[in-house]
Order: sequence, then structure tokens, then C-alpha cells
Amino acid sequence: MFEELLEDIAQKNGLREVNTYLKLIAGLGAILLCLLSTSYIPPLFIAAVLTGATLFMARVDLRTYAELFILPLWFAVMSVAGIILITGGNDIFWQWNILPDFSLSVTRESINQGVFVFCRVIGGMSALCFISLTTPMTDIFIALRQCRIPEAVIDLMMIIYRTIFILMDQVIQIYHAQVMRLGYSGYRESVQSFATLCGAAFIASWDSGDDLIRAMDARCYNGKFALLGESRPVEFIPGLTVVFFLVSSSLVVILSGNVTLI
Amino acid sequence: MSSIILEARDIRYRYPRGMEAVCGISFHIRKKEKIALVGPNGAGKSTLLMMFNGMIRPDSGLMLFDNRPVQYDTPSLRVLRKRVGFVLQNPDRQIIAPTVYQDVAFGPTNLEYNEPEIRETVTRALRYVGLEGFERRPPHQLSGGEKKRVAIAGVLAMDPDVLVFDEPTSGLDPSGSEDIMELLDELNQEGKTIIISTHDVELAYPWADRAILMLGGKILREDIPEVAFGNPESVRRAHLSVPMLLELHMELQKRGFLLQGKKPRTVLDMMRCIETLFEKPGLSPKQGKITVCNVDTDNHEDLLKWLSLQQGVSVGAMGTRAKQHAENSRIALDFTYGVIDKCILKALLGEDSLILTTESMVRRVSQRVDAYGKESGIIIPVQPLNSVTQATEDKKGCRS
Repeated sequence: MFEELLEDIAQKNGLREVNTYLKLIAGLGAILLCLLSTSYIPPLFIAAVLTGATLFMARVDLRTYAELFILPLWFAVMSVAGIILITGGNDIFWQWNILPDFSLSVTRESINQGVFVFCRVIGGMSALCFISLTTPMTDIFIALRQCRIPEAVIDLMMIIYRTIFILMDQVIQIYHAQVMRLGYSGYRESVQSFATLCGAAFIASWDSGDDLIRAMDARCYNGKFALLGESRPVEFIPGLTVVFFLVSSSLVVILSGNVTLI
Repeated sequence: MSSIILEARDIRYRYPRGMEAVCGISFHIRKKEKIALVGPNGAGKSTLLMMFNGMIRPDSGLMLFDNRPVQYDTPSLRVLRKRVGFVLQNPDRQIIAPTVYQDVAFGPTNLEYNEPEIRETVTRALRYVGLEGFERRPPHQLSGGEKKRVAIAGVLAMDPDVLVFDEPTSGLDPSGSEDIMELLDELNQEGKTIIISTHDVELAYPWADRAILMLGGKILREDIPEVAFGNPESVRRAHLSVPMLLELHMELQKRGFLLQGKKPRTVLDMMRCIETLFEKPGLSPKQGKITVCNVDTDNHEDLLKWLSLQQGVSVGAMGTRAKQHAENSRIALDFTYGVIDKCILKALLGEDSLILTTESMVRRVSQRVDAYGKESGIIIPVQPLNSVTQATEDKKGCRS
């Protein structure tokens, strides 16, 4: 349970020192291009580049990355299977008439549509992974404030960010205590233990909320949250790399046009 | 005697629907004192501490800060909380912000310092507790001791006159606790009043100027540690234990040994007691020298050169920065806590030693050694490192 948090990886990644905006522009730009493309090739290209960047430049462990990727991929596989069977078309490869008025079929159009959606999912996923594995939340807060997001929202985000880890610690402790006393040995026990865990976590978070207010009061809180450190300057080579990546991806989007798999 | 900074006059407090936590307490604390509030769990220590910075308002009685009654309106409380810094027992409860820098900057920001000032105070506070370079780390990745230091830095950044610590060493390993206690000493040396609550008798006994024993919301005894902990009856009633050295001293007295001087608070004091008992003052005819190196100003090259010349000299480091300095220059440390006393013990055996320390603690070394000299009549030479290295340079100059 929660061996290593994404945030911990992000804090130690090889691209930590690169300007936050560059990383965000690369990630968000990639998502945008995935959505704009009308062919299945550009998302695959983007996924390949960003996965390479995450693995080799940010030096994220391959296993961690694969584990992170596989879970959402299952959802994608299931929905794509649905799309392929339900989408209609003219060029029918295979058909099964279950009921007189209802049939499942695989057509050229449905396969193309399925592959297209699947590649888009992979492209978007790799862009999101790139952002979350290279940019720690603390850096994103700085960017948010510079983008004029209301102070109250950012302050709340920061407090939530801080307390998530404390709550997580407590939940892990309670969970371990339950496991040690065989709390999850059977189905009934599991349900019961999980309910207790939720209750205890709720009470604990309520308590720490009280403590938080007290701690803030003790340090003269009057509505201001501390200023954030400055972000790092845009350096030439990383900047050029991001521009090159976005331009080449755009080119791939334009050139690939409406190319389909079959 | 310095003037009184905190005073309580017959204060009482009852938790809503609960028992009375503080029942009629009066005491005063002077400036630059080191006070230990000692008592078992549920004695009302934490409740009392929370009154020092106005987090809890007593039901009756009067709290005075700097000879003025504490006012409980928001502006006055802000002033009070700026001057009385409070470090909670659990640093996780105290650290609010997502990065170390932001957390330490929390107080100064709310005190409306401008940005360069904030940056400067934060840098200074982090340097003080030895956490330079931790600015961008998120607190949940730090160890217990480091978290505690962040919490202390957050309070130090507001530059309070009085520092209140609730169980400063709970949850820390022994060397971590020694580090924190040394940090408290360093702060005290710079003129801050320090109040701690603890149930660790061994920790409070050598450290405190005055100990306040609490039990059931009342003060059981309030005196210098030798007296406060010296009465087995009151110590037993407070669910505590007599400090080991004091117990040893009492047992020796019971067996008819006539022990001279004051009651021992450190191993050094105890050794002196025993040595006078057997009329064998000092084991070596010639005392060793203690050399003091100020890591802030002294030349780093000179230090390494001097160390390479001196074989078998014991090295101790006092203060976080001195310890970091030693670690960075790969100087092996023999002592990391109770350094001055251990060096005096070495000197009595006729061995030389070196103390690495910071600006504020240099004077402390000679003060402690002088105090020992006055008590025992044994003069131990203390010399600053730069004078020694200069002398050797001069000698070389003469020869050439």
C-alpha cells in the first residue's frame, strides 16, 4: 500500500531543475496536439518522445513507469473493445447476430476508430505522466500564483497538499495495526475494518484541523500564507528542446493528415 | 538578577466539561533563564505552556508578560505570540506549508516583513538549525529530527524573546535529543529565555537553571535542579525518578563518605567529588590544553594543518554548524555532546583536545573552564586556534 508516492519521485527526478513552465508547456501542448490530431500516428509519436524523456532524461524507474501506465491502460482496452464492437460501418469483417434486431460487428471504420481512440489515450497518458513525474506540486503552486489564480484557492491547495501526507501516514498506521490483528483476513472482516479505518481517519483529520488552526494562530496568522520561492530561469537548451518537440509534433500532426490503420 | 519576563498569579483553568487542569499556580520566570517544567503525563504541563502565549486563557488569576497583564484581544495576542515562540511536541502538527522555505517564512510573512527581509530571516533561521539547502524540500520527506528543526526554525524566524518547547526531545534518538538540547543551550547563550516541558529527568537535571515539578495541576516544588530533584519523597510523588548522578551522590553520603562541594550535575562534577574524597586531585601532574576553533572565522586550512601536526588529539564539536563543518572536512569527531565537560576530563588526564564551535559559543568554553577552575583550583589552559597557528607560523619565520 502506497510504497512510493508520485510526488516523491517528482521531487527527485532528473528534470527537477528545469523551468516549471517549460515542462508544463511541453506536457499540456502534447495533450492539445493529441486532441487536435485526426490520425493515430501523432499520439504514438508524442507518447514515444515523452516516455523516452521521462525514462531517460527524468530517470524514472522503468518498473514504476510501467505500473503507473498499465492501470489506466486496462480501462482504455475495455472501452476500445466496446467502441470496436458497437461502432457501425460498411466494410464488415465479422458479425454476430445475437438477437433479431441487435448484432455486434467489427468493421473497417470501427477498427480505425478504436485504434485512434486507444492511441490518443496513450498519448495523453504519457503527457500526464510526464508532468506528474517531473513537476512536483510545490513547483506547480509557484506557477499557479504567477498565473494569478486567486490566493485563497492556492492557500487551500497548499494546506490540503501538506495535510494529505499527514493523513496518509495516519491511515497507513491504522491499516497496519488492523492487518497485524488480522483485520483483513476475510470478506466480512475487511468490510468492517475498512469502515473503522474510514471513521478513524475522519476523526484524525478533524483533530489535525483543530491543531492546524492552533499552530497557525501561534505564529501570528492573519490571512497570509508564506511567499513562494522563485522559479528557475528558462535556459537555452531545455527551451530549444521543448520548442523543437512541439514543432516536430505539430508537423507530424499536419503530415499524417487522415491516415488510418486499415 | 535579571528582571522578570513571565509571571503567573494564582491561575486556574478547567477544560470544558473536564477536570481542572491547572489549579492555582503562581510562579515567575526571569529573563535568560532555562526552566524545565517536569511532571508525569496529565500534570497540566502542556496546558500551562499554552497559557504563556495566550493560546489558552486562564479562568481566573493573572498572567503577566514583561510585568504587564496579558491582554486577550487579537492585536495584543499577535504581539505576545511574536515575543513568545511556541514549539509543539509533534512537528507534523506545527509544519503547515508544503516546503521548508514556505513554512519557516510563515511567521515573518504574517508579521508583514518585506520580501528581502523574509528571505534573510529564513536563511538565517535555517542556517542556525543547520538545515541550509533544505529550502525546497517538502516536510514529509524529512526525518523526525529534521522536522523538529524545521519547526524550531519557523519559530526562530520570528525572533522571539522567550521560547517554549513542549517535550522537545520526544520521538528523537539519543544523539538527536542531545543535538536539540545543545541548540537550546546555544539559543540561551544568545539571550533567549527557554522553557521546556519534559518527563525526562536525566535530560532536565543537568540542563535547567531551575526546575518546576508539577503534579495534578499544582506546583509540587520549584527550585534549582539539585534541590528540586534531591528530595526522593517529592520526586516519588511526582511519578519521576531521582537523576542517576544525584542518587549516586546520596548513596555515597549515606555510606558515610564526606563529599565536598555542591551536588554533582555532570560526570565532571562527580569525578571531582570522588577525587577530592580520595585526595587525589587530578590524575596527571600536568594538565592538557584545550584549543578552541571558531568555524565561522578561523582559517580552514590552518585547522587542517594544525590537526595533521597534532597526533592523538581528541576533537569535539559544539553546535550544528560546527558539526556540519567537521563532517564536510571529514574531521572525525570524538565528542558530539557535553563537549566542554568531556574536554575538561581529558585535560585532567593530561591529554590535549580541540573544540570546534561557532561564534556565540566560543565565550561559553572559557566561562565553563574558568568556573571549573574556581571550584577546583585546577587551571586548565584554553587557547584560541588562530593564536596557536600564528605562533607556529612565527616560529617558522624566525627559523628561516
